Amino acid sequence: MDDKREPDGIVLTEAQKKSRRERSIAIALALGVLVVLFFAVTLVKGPAVLVRPM
Amino acid sequence: MSVVDHSAIELSPRISEAGVADYIALLKPRVMSLVIFTALVGLVLAPGHFHPVLAFTSILCIAVGAGASGALNMWYESDIDALMSRTANRPIPRGRITRPEALTFGMTLAFFSVMTLGILVNWFAGALLAFTIFFYVVIYTIALKRWTAQNIVIGGAAGALPPVVAWAAATGSLSVEPLLLFLIIFFWTPPHFWALALFRSDDYARAGVPMLPVVAGPDATRLQILLYTIVLVAVAFAPWPLGYFDAVYGVTSLLLGAAMLALAVNVYCRREGTEARRATRKLFAFSILYLFALFATLLLEVVARALAPLIW
Repeated sequence: MDDKREPDGIVLTEAQKKSRRERSIAIALALGVLVVLFFAVTLVKGPAVLVRPM
Repeated sequence: MSVVDHSAIELSPRISEAGVADYIALLKPRVMSLVIFTALVGLVLAPGHFHPVLAFTSILCIAVGAGASGALNMWYESDIDALMSRTANRPIPRGRITRPEALTFGMTLAFFSVMTLGILVNWFAGALLAFTIFFYVVIYTIALKRWTAQNIVIGGAAGALPPVVAWAAATGSLSVEPLLLFLIIFFWTPPHFWALALFRSDDYARAGVPMLPVVAGPDATRLQILLYTIVLVAVAFAPWPLGYFDAVYGVTSLLLGAAMLALAVNVYCRREGTEARRATRKLFAFSILYLFALFATLLLEVVARALAPLIW
């Protein structure tokens, strides 16, 4: 591997890297909340989780 | 020689620097807080036991659905937002977020909020939430807002639906009580927004939005504010004599209604200068307190009724 090779393509600025990281963490947290929510409701509803009245 | 340097365009794609705060601003957090509060009241008024986890899920979905509506509203209105001082600082006019980014964000949130409410709670509530988002974005924002001075009268239905969605989430059906809450918010919307439009009419005129003060003039708007306030006070009081809400609510509604009416009369009478502007601002500020206090009374009544057996 040649570590000294110049990076190809787009090089992000520090501000762009920081905001991208912020957004990634927010998306991860939102997905985590969604998973916990579905898990909690499954526990609450028990077998009735498959009953979804109109 | 080419006039446009295509290589430069290809090598400089726009890379977003938008942070989480910009995306939160797209959700219209202040509107969202009122939506959460009114939905909470709809939820606690609903009869029967509703598991706290399902209640939390319902409120979360309604809040995210409201945020999606806000983001889609800002996506469509970015051109006029840039022209108005009240909205020029929103993320799209400021260049923090692009229109396609806002559209994707709004559509994603709308999809997940409706599907989550439908799958985890019930599909009737999910369908009502989908209708609310559709009504706010398509009927109000896209169809009505730039076309008619009655935009906020009809569009107000979208803002009035959250307690109805919450009631549907808790019960799987509808009843008179959530419709009364709907009517209170529905008739509250015109005096509230026309008061704002009166002291922001230059903004709306610059943006070409046909708000009532721009189209019909300030005096006609003052009359409409007064008439809608009379209807609002009557509609907000009616649930007590009809037997749906308690005496504490009835008396609170009367007192708040009297204050709201007095401020609307003040707006109607004072038409020139700083006195007129002050009267309009007072009505706008009080209208927020009015709705909050009215719904808080309903909430406190339910809480007091629940706690009474534990205390005595």
